[in-house]
Amino acid sequence: MRRWALLAAVAIAAIACGGSTTGGPTTGSTIVLGAPLGLTGSLTKESILTQQGYNLWQDWINARGGIVVNNVKHPVTIKYYDDTSNANQSAVLMQKLITEDKANFLLGPYGSAATATDAAIAEQNEIPMVEANGAAQSIFNQGYKYTFGVLSPANKYLQGVIDMAATLSPKPTTIAMLSADDNFSLEVAEGVNTYAATKGLNVVLYKKYKNGATNLSAEVQAAKAANADIVLNSGHLQEAIAINKAAKEQKVNAKIFAYSVGPSTPDFITALGKDADYVYGGSQWTPQVKYTPAFYLSVAEYVAAYKAKYPGLGDPDYHVAESTAACLALQRAIEKAGSLDPKKVRDALAALDVTVFFGQVKFDSRGINIYKPMVVEQIQNGAHHTVFPDSVADAKPQYPTPAWDQR
Amino acid sequence: MAAFVQLVILGLLAGGVYVAVGVGFGLVWGVLNIVNLAHGALVIVGGYITWQLFTAFGLDPFLTLPVDAVALFVLGYALQRGVINRIIRAPLLFTFLLTFGLNLVIVNILLLIFGSDFRSVTPTYSGQGFEIGGIVVPYVRLTSLGAAILLSAGLAFLLSRTRIGLAIHAIAADRDAAQLVGIDLRHAYAVTYGLGAACAGVAGGLIAMIQAITPTAGEPYTLQAFVVVILGGLGRVSATVVGGLAFGLVEAFGQSIPGSGSVFANAIAFGLMVLVLVTRPQGLMGRLR
Amino acid sequence: MIATADSQRRWRRLFLIVGAIVAAYALLAPLTSLDAAQSANVPLLADKFWFRIATYVVMFVVMATAWNIIGGITGYAAFGNVAFFGIGAYTTGMLIAKAKWPFLVALPLAPILAALFAALVGLPLLRLRGHYFAVASLGVGVAVGELVQNIDYNGQPVFGGASGLFLPIYAVGHRGLFFFYLMCGAAAIAIAVTWWVLRSRFGYGLIAIRENEEAAAVLGVNTTAYKVGAFALAAALTGLAGGIFSQWNVFINQDNAFPIEYNVQMILMALLGGTGTVFGPAAGAVLLQLLIQFLGGSLPISIDLPFVSTEARPIVAQVILGLLLVVVVIFVPRGVIDFFGGRTRLSLSYLRRSLRDTSL
Repeated sequence: MRRWALLAAVAIAAIACGGSTTGGPTTGSTIVLGAPLGLTGSLTKESILTQQGYNLWQDWINARGGIVVNNVKHPVTIKYYDDTSNANQSAVLMQKLITEDKANFLLGPYGSAATATDAAIAEQNEIPMVEANGAAQSIFNQGYKYTFGVLSPANKYLQGVIDMAATLSPKPTTIAMLSADDNFSLEVAEGVNTYAATKGLNVVLYKKYKNGATNLSAEVQAAKAANADIVLNSGHLQEAIAINKAAKEQKVNAKIFAYSVGPSTPDFITALGKDADYVYGGSQWTPQVKYTPAFYLSVAEYVAAYKAKYPGLGDPDYHVAESTAACLALQRAIEKAGSLDPKKVRDALAALDVTVFFGQVKFDSRGINIYKPMVVEQIQNGAHHTVFPDSVADAKPQYPTPAWDQR
Repeated sequence: MAAFVQLVILGLLAGGVYVAVGVGFGLVWGVLNIVNLAHGALVIVGGYITWQLFTAFGLDPFLTLPVDAVALFVLGYALQRGVINRIIRAPLLFTFLLTFGLNLVIVNILLLIFGSDFRSVTPTYSGQGFEIGGIVVPYVRLTSLGAAILLSAGLAFLLSRTRIGLAIHAIAADRDAAQLVGIDLRHAYAVTYGLGAACAGVAGGLIAMIQAITPTAGEPYTLQAFVVVILGGLGRVSATVVGGLAFGLVEAFGQSIPGSGSVFANAIAFGLMVLVLVTRPQGLMGRLR
Repeated sequence: MIATADSQRRWRRLFLIVGAIVAAYALLAPLTSLDAAQSANVPLLADKFWFRIATYVVMFVVMATAWNIIGGITGYAAFGNVAFFGIGAYTTGMLIAKAKWPFLVALPLAPILAALFAALVGLPLLRLRGHYFAVASLGVGVAVGELVQNIDYNGQPVFGGASGLFLPIYAVGHRGLFFFYLMCGAAAIAIAVTWWVLRSRFGYGLIAIRENEEAAAVLGVNTTAYKVGAFALAAALTGLAGGIFSQWNVFINQDNAFPIEYNVQMILMALLGGTGTVFGPAAGAVLLQLLIQFLGGSLPISIDLPFVSTEARPIVAQVILGLLLVVVVIFVPRGVIDFFGGRTRLSLSYLRRSLRDTSL
């Protein structure tokens, strides 16, 4: 298995390097990147997806010999530590990466709480941190200069679903919005609450629940009583599964079920089986998007590289892709800066505007990427399909969602 | 009115899981005076056994419950006999620490074996149910409640009608006196803990059907078990049944508060628990001892 | 075999010397980071990471020592002290972030508010005994965190809500050194308070309550006042640590200001070191926190685990941590200070005796 992954990496490297070897750059010092991740504890699943995304890029860049700065190739190592899914430990490890491991630059942890804590560490040490897994805008409203997020901010997560709903016929009109009470999810929900009216949709129910809840029967019952056309959830994988199970049990027959986080992960389908069909998800990225990358792999090559390195896991989900994109943003900024100086790379990050397989990566003055659109995917016959916007879609939305007893 | 009845039904059905989680926890606490912080981890072990049997052999999840019970009984017996028995005469807090350590070990071994993927058992009848007058009753939850009640009844029978049950009652009442009348304490303790673990295993099997599980998914259940056991009153199986159902109802009505009601689910549950403790330390149902 | 008085004294002396060396190193090393020392070419013994981890460790010294007052000396197994940490953190955090108070003016209010809250909930809670008190205090700890995160007024979160509170980064030279010494100051206060308690009438009353509450009452100890006093004292010290934490960490929310696992950790530390003693909880905090960091691979020295893949390493480290806890709890039920502290010495017979004393 390892050998195939290596072969694939070499093959990709050969393609990537083809013709660009003129001048024969010399090899320079190793660039050290670092990230604390929840390799044990409650955020293990998502943290491992993040790590996969980082590792994919690391293999690729090292197969090319490293990041080229002023005609010198710098190989890359990424150091990981386990923060046991604890934000305070994440801060300790960030400081270790900076001080002890002499990390040149930082990659983000998983989750908005750890990202917020680590952003303050990066700021105090004046080392750029490019993160891909903390979408809460509150992190970016602090005037920090060294934290950059390549992903679309939380408030956009479900706006694509609303845009899509406005194009469907018969047009759905009412929304029941359920949200976990963590900062990311609430920003997603607020995004819906303010945006829906502009598209002629009416939020008839807005309910918050405890983050991590596994029994959401009464919430779902409230959504049923509200008789909404669209049931939206902003939460995490666990809550998305709980809501979908409860919706079936209570025969809630909405026209659209759409969840912020969850549907994009393979676990959602394996855990729910056929009941996962017809569910929509707001997604940062899907394997079907059509962007023309300025460098690195195309979308199809990326999916192939993922499957070669991590066989048996299916397509990469957006957590993986956005994590790779964070590495790409950092790589391009280092190249543009022509230096490993943290301040120069920071300035290059702030001025970055590049399109990669993940989409456009460009930061606003706060450091978050508001320029890349979110896409909408739907699970159809046990497979992920991109259904909105039309320019990247590979399937039409199956609408309306059939009643539970007619499936 | 229909909405109210539906809410009551949902609460009671959800309570089934809490009953199953609570009876084992309450037995170990009430009899052995051990606050078992590894209880949630044992629950999830049961969940993974059910998931594994369902996935590998297509075994109906309800048929796997006895397997969960037996496997967890063995595990629990071994843990108590080999490890926990060694600190029974140490101050109370040591059992907290020991079981906290065991919890860490079990959760991370599960992580090594099963990884961090979310798993759920989805039989063909999952999510289906019947409807009377607009009130929906899902089969899986109804059967889960039934299984939890059966489990509790079985445990109560065992405790009141069998030799080992009487021995367990004896050690709950007075450990040293029990030893004097010839009860093998080490064995009786291990059996008690094993029974508690067996109940946890059954609860885990039910939970694997109702939600998706990961190795860390048991931790909230340990917290909820505290509330369930205190609400009903420590030391009696029937009291825990009442506590579990009451907890389900509290949760359902907490969730139905308009707006942000259910974000206070834990605060309401724990607030209620503190209130019960302060005003009625014997629990809603009174206490045997 | 009982250790002779002579060897007892030797062990005690060794322990004190080691402790003194560690403390002296910890307190003096930061000075090498000062400009004067650096320009005099003194080797740098404390970099930013040293400060981060040392401040974190000392934070636990404060919490474990504080817990010892209610849990160790008074014998009330408080299981929700993290509530006081969070209240302290949020008091300082709110005053700085919302009311724009200077940090050092806001800090003293953290222990005061935490103590007031403890006195308020202590009155009903401390009527409970044993496990009941433990569980009720846990409930308070969980509930307070949830309320702080979710309380809204006119649709706006009162305490920063789920987004948490961001504090301005404290503008002070040698920031790491400043917060480290500040936390050490809190630890010194906590240890000094414990020392005073153990020698005061108040402390004798608390010990009497621990040994036999009814008898203490008969002897004229106002048990309610004493218990609430001890609880409030522990809360004040824990709240002080929380107050420092909020400004040091810059960002607080429910996750990092009310982490349930800290409840277990502070007790673990106190028990490891030895409850009811002055320095035991501090020693336990240092030992356990360094052990956690060592297994997590974040200390300069680390070990390679044979036969373990890189992916599995952090998981195996957690398993080892759990197993070590189990072993320590079983074999050293009186805390490590007990056998280093001179009453006995570490030997096979000691371990066998501990086992015999506590097992069925």
